[in-house]
Amino acid sequence: MKFMKITASAALLLGTSAPTAQAEDLVVYQTWSSPAEVAALKVLNEAVSAEGINWIDITIPHNTGSSVSLLNLVVGGQPPNIFSENNTGVFRDLTEMGLGRDLTEAFTETGAIDHFSDAVLKAITVDGEIRQMPLGVHIDGMVYYNMEVAAAAGVDPTSWTSLDDMMADFDAVTAAGYVPLAVGAQQWQIGYLTHALMGTLAGPELYAGVYGEVPDPAAFDSAEVRSVFEWLRKFQQAADDGSVNRDWNMTTNNVISGQALMQIHGDWMKGEWRAAGKEPGVDFGCIPIPGYKAVVVTVDGWGALGGQPEATDAAMMRFAQIVTDPTVNADFANVKGATPVRNDVPTDGIDNCAQRVLELLEDSSRQVNNPSVTVDSDWQNAIWEVAFNFWSDPDMSVDDAIASLHSQHDIILN
Amino acid sequence: MTDTNVMYPRKPKRITGRSIAVLVFLSMAAMFFCVPLYVLIVTSFKEMDQIREGAMFSLPTKWTLEAWHFAWFEACSGLNCSGLRAGFWNSVVILVPSLTASIALSMVTGYALALWDVKWAGPFLFVLFLCAFVPFQIIMYPLIRLTVTMGIYGSTTAIAFVHTVLAMPILTLIFRNFYKDIPPELIKAAIMDSGSFWRIFVEIILPMSGNILIVVLILQITSIWNDYLIGVTFGGLGTKPMTVHLANMVTVSTGTVSYNVNMAAALLTAIPPLVIYFVLGKFFVQGIAAGAIKG
Repeated sequence: MKFMKITASAALLLGTSAPTAQAEDLVVYQTWSSPAEVAALKVLNEAVSAEGINWIDITIPHNTGSSVSLLNLVVGGQPPNIFSENNTGVFRDLTEMGLGRDLTEAFTETGAIDHFSDAVLKAITVDGEIRQMPLGVHIDGMVYYNMEVAAAAGVDPTSWTSLDDMMADFDAVTAAGYVPLAVGAQQWQIGYLTHALMGTLAGPELYAGVYGEVPDPAAFDSAEVRSVFEWLRKFQQAADDGSVNRDWNMTTNNVISGQALMQIHGDWMKGEWRAAGKEPGVDFGCIPIPGYKAVVVTVDGWGALGGQPEATDAAMMRFAQIVTDPTVNADFANVKGATPVRNDVPTDGIDNCAQRVLELLEDSSRQVNNPSVTVDSDWQNAIWEVAFNFWSDPDMSVDDAIASLHSQHDIILN
Repeated sequence: MTDTNVMYPRKPKRITGRSIAVLVFLSMAAMFFCVPLYVLIVTSFKEMDQIREGAMFSLPTKWTLEAWHFAWFEACSGLNCSGLRAGFWNSVVILVPSLTASIALSMVTGYALALWDVKWAGPFLFVLFLCAFVPFQIIMYPLIRLTVTMGIYGSTTAIAFVHTVLAMPILTLIFRNFYKDIPPELIKAAIMDSGSFWRIFVEIILPMSGNILIVVLILQITSIWNDYLIGVTFGGLGTKPMTVHLANMVTVSTGTVSYNVNMAAALLTAIPPLVIYFVLGKFFVQGIAAGAIKG
């Protein structure tokens, strides 16, 4: 059935544009290899090969954000045509080398540009040009809870309207013999929890003060930023003994197996639930962090190479248009466990949790971007370090944490 | 070791405080390696359902080879889902020329430096010695430019070339130190018998090099097989070694993790060097004892 949908959409696309006369090779550099990711890649591959684009895959893992392998290929004179990258610095470097390619026109042509939410548009834009084709959306901090445990402990997460409501139920959960909140205490996970809480408690303006392109030290002293650290401390004290250096997915498994009620983490948790054969809305529920002022949005996007021969360039533009086609995008997101980047996708195959995310994305005043879109990477590392030190050392006070944010800011950005 | 190998009679051993301390230390050292290895092996035979329960040290409730089969035949590296075996053959194709070129070149260089009157041999050795300590990462970008200029970037040839260049300093020093213990009279006599540079090498030196060759072979097979960075940097489309395929399978940021498949894949990747150790291990110890590396 899925295949039918793809062929149908590909046929539609073929009808609307002049078919490419000849198969065009495109080298696609990407980082995905896990089963759900590969299934999602296949959706894209089928859609583009139906239009005569020959996808040559080159997969290198680079989850450190340093993009060394990509730059090696560029230096080596064999840059890939399409590449997985979200670091704005890399896109600026490519522009300087004459290898930048603006995709604005491609998306204006198909009208896709009008259907991207604000957070998506912001994430794919570098210096006023759209430089990435967006593929999927993730929310960095969602609450995924085990419905069976919630019922057994007699709590209803959907009734929470603030973190205080949530905390008030912790005792009931503990009394019923469950861990209320499963946390994986690794630096990046605590870093993610910190910016998710920053969006939740501080809202877009103060969030920009901490994670914006030009951070504003005055924001650090606000009551809201202080409350982020206060909540981090409360979560740390509620965490179970096994939380130290636990991977996010092992943490998810604690919730899946019913040892803990919930986890606050990026909504890629869904993949782990799905892999364990659980269904959203039946076995597990998903809600934004209670009382959120803004949700933090991560967008998976791929860039395109500039300065290419005409035929290759045309193929790349078609590639960008095909992968952002509503049907292709919806299929891709369903298979990968992400949320579509467009707000006009067919909703029949979309699960509860992705539906919830689409609703969240409708309100553009309550969404902010993952820090990596805007923030200097040294500054991001510094925030992670401060947050993780604070988490790991119960004697460190909120004042200490704020003070070290200030001193890191002075060192790195002044 | 059999009894015939004992060179001198030994007194019957008594258990002393010292031997207990040695035993305790050795068992701790063995545990240090064996405990992770145990987890690696049992996990690779488990099903994901059992792994999700935690209990890392428990034996599989149901032994299964599924993870091994999946890792070898079906695992995906991006869109190519032909398992690790694609990477295995790439690694073999990389290993053979890298091994031959690096050993042949350093062996001849070491032989020339040790036994022939080479001009500037001292400074040359000193430079080689310094080069042995230059980390690869520092010269990575220049090497990329160099291989691009040579027109071989993105091929198995480039990988073999870089392995040869990087292994040269240390291998040359090893061979040179081994050959310098050969009595000069031997070479002088051979020259008198009208032996040329190459004839002496092939007929006299090569037959004497068994032990040291085994040592170098093991060193090189291990380092080339386990290499990731050179393969990922200089390999082109479809020439990525097994380690890159392994990294693709194991490195997951936001996808799901199949621990059993990862463990099986890691073991599969580690098997070739392990086999070499088991087969050639005895010679390895002899080679080191023969005075090669102790320099």
